[in-house]
Amino acid sequence: MKLLLVEDEVKTGDYVKQGLTESGFIVDLARNGLDGHHLALTGSYDLIILDVMLPDVEGWRIVQALREAKSATPVLFLTARDSVEDRVKGLELGADDYLVKPFAFSELLARVRTLLRRGAAPVFNDQLQVANLTLDIPRRRAQRDGVRIDLTNKEFALLELLVRRQSEVLPRSLIASQVWDMNFDSDTNVIDVAIRRLRAKIDDGYEPKLIHTVRGMGYMLDVTPSA
Amino acid sequence: MKRRPASLALRLTVSIGAVITVVLLSFGWMIERSINNHFIQQDVDELNAVVQALKHTLATVPANESPDAFRDRLANAVSGHHNAQYRISTPNGSVIYSTPGSDLARFVRMAQPVEHISIDTVGIWQDHGETFRGAVLSMDSDILRGIGPLTIAVATGINFHLHYLESFRDYLRLITVVACLIAILATWFAVHRGHAPIRRISHEIRRIRSDQMHIRLNSSAVPAELVELATSFNGMLDRLEDVFKRLSDFSGDIAHELRTPITNIKTQTEVALSQARSVEQYREILYSNLEEYERMAKMVGDMLFLAQADNHLLKPELVTIELDAELRTLFDYFGAWAEERGVGLKLAGERVCTLGDTLMIRRALSNLLSNAIRYTPHGKTVSVHIEGNLESVKIQIVNPGPQIPPQHLPHIFERFYRPDASRQRSSEGAGLGLAIAKSIFEAHGGRITATSTEQETTFEVRMPAQMC
Repeated sequence: MKLLLVEDEVKTGDYVKQGLTESGFIVDLARNGLDGHHLALTGSYDLIILDVMLPDVEGWRIVQALREAKSATPVLFLTARDSVEDRVKGLELGADDYLVKPFAFSELLARVRTLLRRGAAPVFNDQLQVANLTLDIPRRRAQRDGVRIDLTNKEFALLELLVRRQSEVLPRSLIASQVWDMNFDSDTNVIDVAIRRLRAKIDDGYEPKLIHTVRGMGYMLDVTPSA
Repeated sequence: MKRRPASLALRLTVSIGAVITVVLLSFGWMIERSINNHFIQQDVDELNAVVQALKHTLATVPANESPDAFRDRLANAVSGHHNAQYRISTPNGSVIYSTPGSDLARFVRMAQPVEHISIDTVGIWQDHGETFRGAVLSMDSDILRGIGPLTIAVATGINFHLHYLESFRDYLRLITVVACLIAILATWFAVHRGHAPIRRISHEIRRIRSDQMHIRLNSSAVPAELVELATSFNGMLDRLEDVFKRLSDFSGDIAHELRTPITNIKTQTEVALSQARSVEQYREILYSNLEEYERMAKMVGDMLFLAQADNHLLKPELVTIELDAELRTLFDYFGAWAEERGVGLKLAGERVCTLGDTLMIRRALSNLLSNAIRYTPHGKTVSVHIEGNLESVKIQIVNPGPQIPPQHLPHIFERFYRPDASRQRSSEGAGLGLAIAKSIFEAHGGRITATSTEQETTFEVRMPAQMC
């Protein structure tokens, strides 16, 4: 997967590029709007991450040029201004998603993966399986080692999210937004509690442990812990 | 471009000047007219005296007097009226007597005979550069009965009257113009002086700078007309000072609140770098830093939200929100967390709706709920009660728990306000939750109040109602 990152802030650019590269993406970094504009129109990328506050060519112009050239490459824009107008403008111009600075890298990664998945053919698996955990999606049932596990609706939704995005670190904010539709940070540790309960049902007494805490970032479901 | 309205001094001076000018002009006109009338009356009196003398002479003339003697008698009949001229003629036009040097024949042909002489019946004409006022009368005479009624024309030269009037008129004009000028100047001066309080106020206002926002105009020291101005200006200053103070408190708060996490990170990093450590230890430090960064990022985000709310930049996307459903969603979200803390959640009330931005309202209610759950002791229940009528909806969030001391209650919606200074920061965010909730409800035209007793604390939200 090849990504284009347009970011004029040197440190941000370097670290985001490093983070994305280490997550398995090939990343081209453009440090100004002109290069970004050129690369976006001539290169072939699976996704473009765009800082809209650029000193030369405004980020919006790049999105516009891209859409005028009938390119459907998904665009995720980064903005420091958390104003509704900005967001609406970006989405109207044809961007697909946005993140407000400062953002958590895990959040960026999760959004990038979501956008990349959007293009792919949707998977209508009735059954999801990780190691010896099986999810029966239509009947909303979970089994571990062939033993049925009782889950509440939300617990099942949470588990389904974790399984569908296996091996991805999911930030708490993303979990709150996907499972409970809470699109803001809460001061509470509601997500931690929910994960703890789910873990008690799914992992306690079973091997291998599937739900892992990634400190400072979020949670991940994987067969082998990565860190 | 729109022109600046004329100055107050100019407006007042022009209007008062116009009034004074009109008054002076009409006053002058009246004086002139009355003097003129006085002169006419004088002339009429003189003419009447002459006529009277002539009548007397004609009545007392002896019979069979010679025409020459008769003419002499007529010539001497009038004495003391040097300007007067007269002419006596018979109906057939022959002149019996005419004052020497006079030519009243033309006047007699022009004028209609009148019964008696008055202001209304005298006429004016000019002859050889001299202006006359006079009248024509017809009179029966006992002596000259055979001849028929005599025609008597009398006139008096009025040139000296006219000269006097003319110079008087010039004089009057001069006086009027000078008086007008003086009056206008005086008006302008008075108006200028009258505006002195305005200049004084403006001078006082100029003294007010951002570091002296406490200065107020003394509304008892200004004229009655300016009291309202001074009062509203003071009101504006009050509001500005309030906002200004909040702004500077705000930036002070930011600095203060950010200093703690920054110090933590800095110290920790410095200590970490002071000697070689294991990978595990480095990782631990980075994780710990990450937590601090996250806290700061969240705080900055919340502060930006509040700053937008303060500047009225929050633009809710209004949709109909079913509050009971919204609260149930939140109960669902907080349920596990509350259960772990041994806190129950109870919702009571009817189905009510309001108009609001779903995300914002959810955020505000979530802040209130998490706050309530946090302060509820183990084993107790947070109860939410909603009700509404046609105009407004009421949401009450009641949590049993320690009383918020009355002196703290008015301040709990202020940002960063923590009743207990020693309370641990980690357990409850940055102290912005209630401030954000308040901003959100107010941006929706609602309001929030808090009451606290020894048993329980109640947050009450009121918002405009909406048909479900």
